[in-house]
Amino acid sequence: MNREEEFKKIVAQYCKVSPEDMTGEMKFREDLGFSSLDFMSFLGEIEDTFDVELEEESVLKIFTVGEALELLNGMEAA
Amino acid sequence: MKKTFPLVAAQNMHYEWIRQYGTQQVSGVSVVASLQAPLDFGLLKKCIQLEIKRYGCLRLRFTAPDSDGKIMQYIVPDDSRDIPLKDMTDMTMEQADRIMQQKAYETFDGNDIPMFEFLMVKLPEGYNGFFLHMDHRLIDSCGIVVMINDIMSLYTHYRFGSEYPADLADFESVLESDIAKAANEKRFQKDKKFWDDQLDALGEPLYSDIEGPSVLEASRKKHRKKTLRSADFEKKELMVAVKDYVLEPQAAKGLMDFCMNHQLSMTNLLLLGMRTYLSKVNDGQEDITIENFISRRSTHDEWTSGGSRTIMFPCRTVISADTEFLSAAYEIQNMQNRIYMHSNYDPALIRKEMKKRYGTPDGTRYVSCYLTYQPMPVRMENPFLKDIRQHSKWFANGAATKKMYLTVSHTEDGGMNFSYHYQVASLSEKDMELLYYYMMRILFMGISEPEKTVGQIMKEA
Repeated sequence: MNREEEFKKIVAQYCKVSPEDMTGEMKFREDLGFSSLDFMSFLGEIEDTFDVELEEESVLKIFTVGEALELLNGMEAA
Repeated sequence: MKKTFPLVAAQNMHYEWIRQYGTQQVSGVSVVASLQAPLDFGLLKKCIQLEIKRYGCLRLRFTAPDSDGKIMQYIVPDDSRDIPLKDMTDMTMEQADRIMQQKAYETFDGNDIPMFEFLMVKLPEGYNGFFLHMDHRLIDSCGIVVMINDIMSLYTHYRFGSEYPADLADFESVLESDIAKAANEKRFQKDKKFWDDQLDALGEPLYSDIEGPSVLEASRKKHRKKTLRSADFEKKELMVAVKDYVLEPQAAKGLMDFCMNHQLSMTNLLLLGMRTYLSKVNDGQEDITIENFISRRSTHDEWTSGGSRTIMFPCRTVISADTEFLSAAYEIQNMQNRIYMHSNYDPALIRKEMKKRYGTPDGTRYVSCYLTYQPMPVRMENPFLKDIRQHSKWFANGAATKKMYLTVSHTEDGGMNFSYHYQVASLSEKDMELLYYYMMRILFMGISEPEKTVGQIMKEA
């Protein structure tokens, strides 16, 4: 499983959309039904799974699956 | 040999209260769920027995405390008990409620025993269903709502041929995963840093009481310490009373629309209403802490595994009088979001850290008010039952560990229910009336003029 697949699999645990049907444009709150608690718990899980530290400022700019994935990939590259 | 597990933080919270107050009553939770329709009680019994098999948390038991008072939990593979039927059809609904209320005061005393009791009930006015009384260490209110729906899905499957309900997540696996998360050292250090940083930045919290500053003053005198910032809490007279107020649908819609239009969650708006009231009655105190309960249910498995996941964290904000209402709401939201990210932490450790840093005297706290926002109604969300009238009710366990605990939920007609549980040792219905009245004045003034400062609102409300 590559990183994107693993990422989407985690997202899918929090919503009713399967990883296969998930697109980068999907918004966490509006399209996937995340509550604030869901979103923040999800970020904690991303940190633990991918061993990264998310900055609060960057996190506040995330609205879509694509943006979150981009942030994660950027951190990987850094 | 049975496989045992340590308690998780949410369970420990209840266990610590049991130890602190010396009775299991403080950990009781009870609810009745019924339909205004005839029920096949033989079938209902079968469904409840099947639920005990499906919902692993129901089969939890606790070991005797060791020499340090620590207990462990384990899951028994089978509990094939009978489910008795109680006929209360010759009573009024108020009388039936009173009987169930009495049951809710009962305790589960002993080790290695089942910690729940089901009763099928025939109620007045043609309502039929079941009453459940259990220990909060097995389940929280979200878990109970999921379970009620699952039982009725089983019932409609066997009775009407609806689809068999999907499997519930395995309680033991989720428990093991929670225990592993709590043991993740890196995560633990991040969470600890977040909570310690807050104390580094803001220092010792300052108690605020719905009765005003006199409560803290009394503790200062008692402890002979003029600078004391925590106040004594009631340990002996735990009798609780409940006062419910219903906010009508149109007004509730106003609050919900405000939240939606400003991307705010209802919890944060309610926290703002409550903290502004506390500030108002405490001479404009800016540093306010309210304990807010978090469900910690986000993934599918967390939603359907049952268990006790709900836990309270202190929401502490320092908001000056010249802060606009909307900015104050965002300040709270920002704090709450950060708390959510660190909600795997055991809040007992926050209190321990404060005690270490500030020498908080035993028997004192920094908080008098507690909040739960419960967006999930106790309603059977089942297409086969949707047109049938329902009677569901939570029963207080009668022993309050908190001075004032507000549960806000939604009513079936779109209104909101504000349920104030208060210790009668020091509070009266009049105090709750005032609290509700001013909370509403504050909230509605704030949402109609969000650019108004909280200072202005406190003055005008």
